[in-house]
Amino acid sequence: MSAPPAARGAAPAAAPRAGEAGRRRKQLFLRYSTLVVLVLLFAGFSLGVDRFLTTSNLLNILQQISMLTIVAIGLTFGFAAREMDLSVGFMAGLAGLIGPTLLVAGWPLPVALAAGLGAGLAVGTVNAVLVTLVGVPSLIATLAMGSILFGVNFLISGGRAIYGGLPESYLVLGQGRLFGIPVLAFLMLAAVLVAWFVMERTIFGRYVYAVGGNLKAAELSGIRGRRYRQMALVISSLFAALAGLLLSARLGSGQPNAGQDYLLDGLATVFIGMTMFRPGTATIAGTFFGALFIGVINNGLNLLGLDTYIQSIVKGVIIIVAVAIVSRTTKLKLL
Amino acid sequence: MAIELDDIIVDYPGTRALDRVSVAFRTDEVHGLIGENGAGKTTLVSILGGGRLPTEGRMRLDGAEVRLASPGEALARGIAHVSQEGSLVPGLTGAQNILLGAEPRRLGVVVRRAALRAQAQAMLARWFPDLTIDLDRPVETLPYADQKIIEIVRALRGDIRILILDEPTATLPAREKERLWAIIRRLPAQGVGVVLISHFLSEILALSDRITVLRDGRLVRTFAAAGATEGELTALMLQRGHGPTESGVDRRRHRRAGDRVVEVSGWRIPEAQVGAFHIGAGEIVGLIGLTGSGHFAFARSLYDAPDLEAGTLRLGGEAVPRVAAHEMRRRGVAFIPDHRMIHSLIGDWSARENLAMVHPEAGAVAPGILSPRRETAEARAVMQRLSVKASSPEQAVGELSGGNKQKISIGKWLYGAGGRYRLMIFVEPTEGVDIGAKREIHDLLRRLADDGAAILVASSDLIEIADLATRVVSFVNGQALGDLEWPNFSEQSFIAAMSGATA
Repeated sequence: MSAPPAARGAAPAAAPRAGEAGRRRKQLFLRYSTLVVLVLLFAGFSLGVDRFLTTSNLLNILQQISMLTIVAIGLTFGFAAREMDLSVGFMAGLAGLIGPTLLVAGWPLPVALAAGLGAGLAVGTVNAVLVTLVGVPSLIATLAMGSILFGVNFLISGGRAIYGGLPESYLVLGQGRLFGIPVLAFLMLAAVLVAWFVMERTIFGRYVYAVGGNLKAAELSGIRGRRYRQMALVISSLFAALAGLLLSARLGSGQPNAGQDYLLDGLATVFIGMTMFRPGTATIAGTFFGALFIGVINNGLNLLGLDTYIQSIVKGVIIIVAVAIVSRTTKLKLL
Repeated sequence: MAIELDDIIVDYPGTRALDRVSVAFRTDEVHGLIGENGAGKTTLVSILGGGRLPTEGRMRLDGAEVRLASPGEALARGIAHVSQEGSLVPGLTGAQNILLGAEPRRLGVVVRRAALRAQAQAMLARWFPDLTIDLDRPVETLPYADQKIIEIVRALRGDIRILILDEPTATLPAREKERLWAIIRRLPAQGVGVVLISHFLSEILALSDRITVLRDGRLVRTFAAAGATEGELTALMLQRGHGPTESGVDRRRHRRAGDRVVEVSGWRIPEAQVGAFHIGAGEIVGLIGLTGSGHFAFARSLYDAPDLEAGTLRLGGEAVPRVAAHEMRRRGVAFIPDHRMIHSLIGDWSARENLAMVHPEAGAVAPGILSPRRETAEARAVMQRLSVKASSPEQAVGELSGGNKQKISIGKWLYGAGGRYRLMIFVEPTEGVDIGAKREIHDLLRRLADDGAAILVASSDLIEIADLATRVVSFVNGQALGDLEWPNFSEQSFIAAMSGATA
């Protein structure tokens, strides 16, 4: 092979093998098919459901998916590092109780928010220690942590909602509007942009993906695998805590069982996202569109007057379909 | 009775695993099967055991042609396979394991415990009347040799004439091996031929009546074991015939070791012990040894040694307290591992992303913040330097050829490195790489040495070592033996050194 290197280092492509080419075509199709389905869903609801395509309803969808998106961003960090965090739902619930409890007791807003996020930091750290130092698989460790938090949430609230005297400065986060657009939508957008930047444009994000992509290779490249798995789990809890604080602001009260739905919805969101852009990989962009997907379906089915248990069935089917697509078209092993 | 394999060819995608191998296994012999990793032993016994059909070639059992499409068909013809990993259910007793799936039952449902015990005991006694093994204990509590014997007794259920044993003593402590050896030796007299795969040449010589050697998927020779020596076996396994040195003018005569980059003393890891080792700037040191002799593990332990038991490593005269990958990378040690898709690359990442794995900061616009444009420029530069053939830096690495993958694996340590590496460790640097890329990689290694890096190469390709190295250290059974200095290199001298003869 004495030929001089071709101009700009790019010699003719090595021909991919037949199976490889087939897989690539499948992935290319996959990359956009979920988006196409989303557009079709949107169009279908617009034509078939009266109040769907109105400004107020579209803003409503944005508001509805904002907390879900924030939880799912946290899950995305975990998935990127190949760790699953099943404690996010109850974590959101915990932060959503701590914030209002302190506010009702007269603490200033920054303290209440910091305490809620601090709880996220603490729980995330415990998860990280259990997974990376003790060696409990994240699936089990965080499932058990969820159970613990569920109990804690009822203990600290006595099973009652916490409300009354919540300051306006807090409630505006969940209920206010800016230029007619929900504050929550701005917060979600900010979270998406920041998370996207961290994952796609920083060395930190690259290392998180490297650890999830091939832990052995990452570590032999001098990357401290354990550290990035820990950070991913902590970030996951932090985003869950943030979502919980916002949820209580939206509801105007801290509810002991709030946030529970975010686990399954969040997983569905990430799985849908994994069919897009870089199939088999959890990406922030994929997660955002995954949340839109879930939001549009939930909203449309609601307007059609279908019961929540029908929505639950639909969601289950969506998760299975999304994971089936990802598993069959990529080499990904989820567990 | 015998089973004959005629002109067997097995093709895997991209490689020919077996190339016209003909060999006969008899029921009155222990037949040793040896060869280095990748020689085709496993493929050959999977053909024999019905695990796979040959691409071409025929099999004859007592002269009649047979086609063994599954392990079940092989069993029905009297051929059983005991794999290396073991197939016992740890929590079940010896008796339950021996009759697993064939338990005596009442009404087809309820297992008859007493009958099960008696039958299992009878089977053990039929084959090995003088052995006492407690068949009522869970097998996980038994010595490893007894577990293997139970596995063998189970394999002999039915009318078995040929028993394939794949590395039967690999997991056994030394003192238990003899017990199993005695068992294996006795089988041919009872009408069961043994096909024995083992990396331990002493074991092969002690047990076998005949020995077959494979190399690179080809039959080297089948011969009577009596009178053969380990040295002869090693030579047959390794000898490829010496080609001409690839670079016309050998630059080694001008190469002189510079300052000592690394000094190691009293080094002990589970796989190897090295009393003293050193390497200097500009040197290319080759490590050789048979599979499992510890040379790969030693090379790797100079970069990442989580299970270091004892020893000190000095880098540029300074003692390194903890040998861990991130620490050694910072100190200027590079490690390019074998099995690149497992140890080095992420298949669905682009060439750019893979290259940027070690020094992503080279593509950063501000601390920690990446610029895809800068990354692309840096990746292009590396790909050009190594003449990587890819459609663009964005092509997924999994789609590249073996040689180009290996170049990316090496390129990770050139991307943004700017000659910062004092020691570069290569394990199997040209594994699964075509001849052109191999030459390019060899030239690159020489250039890196010329630029002042110390280059350590552990390889099972002796010709590669002969072509590259200025000094060679051979490993035997985990021990580093004396150095061989260029120009006293030849395949023969290497092989002698690897089989433990004094060089």
